[in-house]
Amino acid sequence: MTTSKFKRGLLGLALLLTVGAAPAATLKIATIAPDGTSWMTEMRAAGKRIEERTEGRVELKFYPGGVMGSASTVLRKMRVGQLHGGAFATSELAEVYPDWALYGMPFLFESMDEVIAVREEIDPLLAEGLEARGLTMVGLAGGGFGYLMSGSRIASRDALIASKVWVPEGDDVAALSLELAGVSPISLPISDVYTGLQTGLIDTVVNTPVGTIAFQWHTRVKYLVDLPVSYVAGGIAIDNRAFRRLSAADQAIMREELEGTLAELQAQDRLDNVGAKAALAGQGIETIPISDEDLAYWHALADRTLDQLNASNDYEFDHVDALREAITRVRAR
Amino acid sequence: MMRTRFALLLLPLLLGGCATIVDSASQRFANALSAGILSQTDEQVVRDGLPAYLLLVDGFIAEDPDNLRLLLAGADLYGSYAGAFVDDPERAKRLAGRGRDYGERALCVADDALCTAFGGPFDQWDAALALVDADALEPLYGFAAAWATWIQVNSGDWDAIAELPKVEAAMARVVAIDDGFRDGWPHLYLGVLKTQLPPAYGGKPEEGRQHFQQAIDQSQGRNLMARVLFAERYARLVFDQELHDRLLNETLASDVEADGLTLTNVLAHTRARELLEESNDYF
Repeated sequence: MTTSKFKRGLLGLALLLTVGAAPAATLKIATIAPDGTSWMTEMRAAGKRIEERTEGRVELKFYPGGVMGSASTVLRKMRVGQLHGGAFATSELAEVYPDWALYGMPFLFESMDEVIAVREEIDPLLAEGLEARGLTMVGLAGGGFGYLMSGSRIASRDALIASKVWVPEGDDVAALSLELAGVSPISLPISDVYTGLQTGLIDTVVNTPVGTIAFQWHTRVKYLVDLPVSYVAGGIAIDNRAFRRLSAADQAIMREELEGTLAELQAQDRLDNVGAKAALAGQGIETIPISDEDLAYWHALADRTLDQLNASNDYEFDHVDALREAITRVRAR
Repeated sequence: MMRTRFALLLLPLLLGGCATIVDSASQRFANALSAGILSQTDEQVVRDGLPAYLLLVDGFIAEDPDNLRLLLAGADLYGSYAGAFVDDPERAKRLAGRGRDYGERALCVADDALCTAFGGPFDQWDAALALVDADALEPLYGFAAAWATWIQVNSGDWDAIAELPKVEAAMARVVAIDDGFRDGWPHLYLGVLKTQLPPAYGGKPEEGRQHFQQAIDQSQGRNLMARVLFAERYARLVFDQELHDRLLNETLASDVEADGLTLTNVLAHTRARELLEESNDYF
């Protein structure tokens, strides 16, 4: 063998080795959580484990703090392949598959145990719908219940009707439900809520205790109505094309790590919300009990909202009945 | 949704407070010691040496429990030590708690209205702050700084995190009364506090940027920690690698020795090297 042939042989071997190993995939994932939060810390740790377990074939690259823009922008960037995934609130996933908005419907759930049991049945249906529209859900974490908080004392339904209630921009299900109750909600993006409370544009908000303290809304409210209003959850969705490029084994590793991490975050979040709710009381925010009469009214409202969603042509939901049946089943246990 | 824990990263800031003890027979000795700490170029010497000073300040306070200067020095030293040099979380909480207690006592010696308001709802605290004049600046700043450290080391405790807006309001009041107070240190706190949240959650990083710039300008560029936190907090939040790397390279190209800032700048150099190393992974 001549030297040049030998060299070519080596080159060929090198090429063969390169081709033999699956090329490394870098999945670019956007999130609003800022660096240094436990969410980001845990996600980065999961990313490291995925990289190690796939022997470098899968690398996660995070863009924290909302630097890639709003959820809509992130979804658009995913469609054109500029990003491969993102962390989304369920209400944001509704932009891709509307049924994701159902979980956040006000007064739908009565307790956290109920949510967990219902989600076991409904999560797979929602994930399936999402996948049919191009996104693979690789983990979902509940973030607790949002509570009604206000600058004025909301001791009755009439008091709520008389107040300026915020509803998250784009959350049609929450808006419909409040309208059915006679409330005229004011739609704003989360980014404008603090200023809205400051200027008096709104005086009543719904948020989890953790979110309320993190966004410093607790400095602008004085009362908390002691009734879980809406369930808040968020998950990681990856573009199908990017996810399917991974081998089945690597997909499984990725799911296992991210699902595990999100389950841990969910458990911690439950504890955090208990701590944060107590901290709100410590900050002088008065807890207002809810009367049995109002409680019955609010829970019936969720049923009326589901009826309306089924009856109206303005909404296209696939799983309203499945959700209602699951809730009935869980409550009958 | 996402759980948001606070990464305040206020720790290295605490050294900006080092008040001097100006009363009693211990005055000259204490002043010399304080100057010694701040001009030290070896972190380890301070790490090892500070506990003796903590015992000393405890002794002074025991003998003169309502002495404002001593209480502020106690708040400052315990906060600095707990925040910057203690690795064990439980010990850091204990020591920062003592710093906060001294800070509270100082505040209560100086101003009855603030003393009553700090434990109450935010709007009461805000209203009390509006009535504060220049006389209360030192205790207000000293208390707020010790409070910030206490929150930092208790960042898993929602009761502590919920107090954060009060610290921000206190620091904002300090600069509203005297914009150049302590050569920009309160601005540095405000820079960090204003870069906690991304704009999507209602954060205002651009306001943070202005405070970082003020902290740099008011120290004539000598406070290198201002550059480092500008990079770590603001440039990372808005994802500006060019600004991030430039600020850190400027830090490393600057001499650490500066009057009253040497130790801070040594810590800034260490942090700048760590952040630069991570830069390509982060961005």
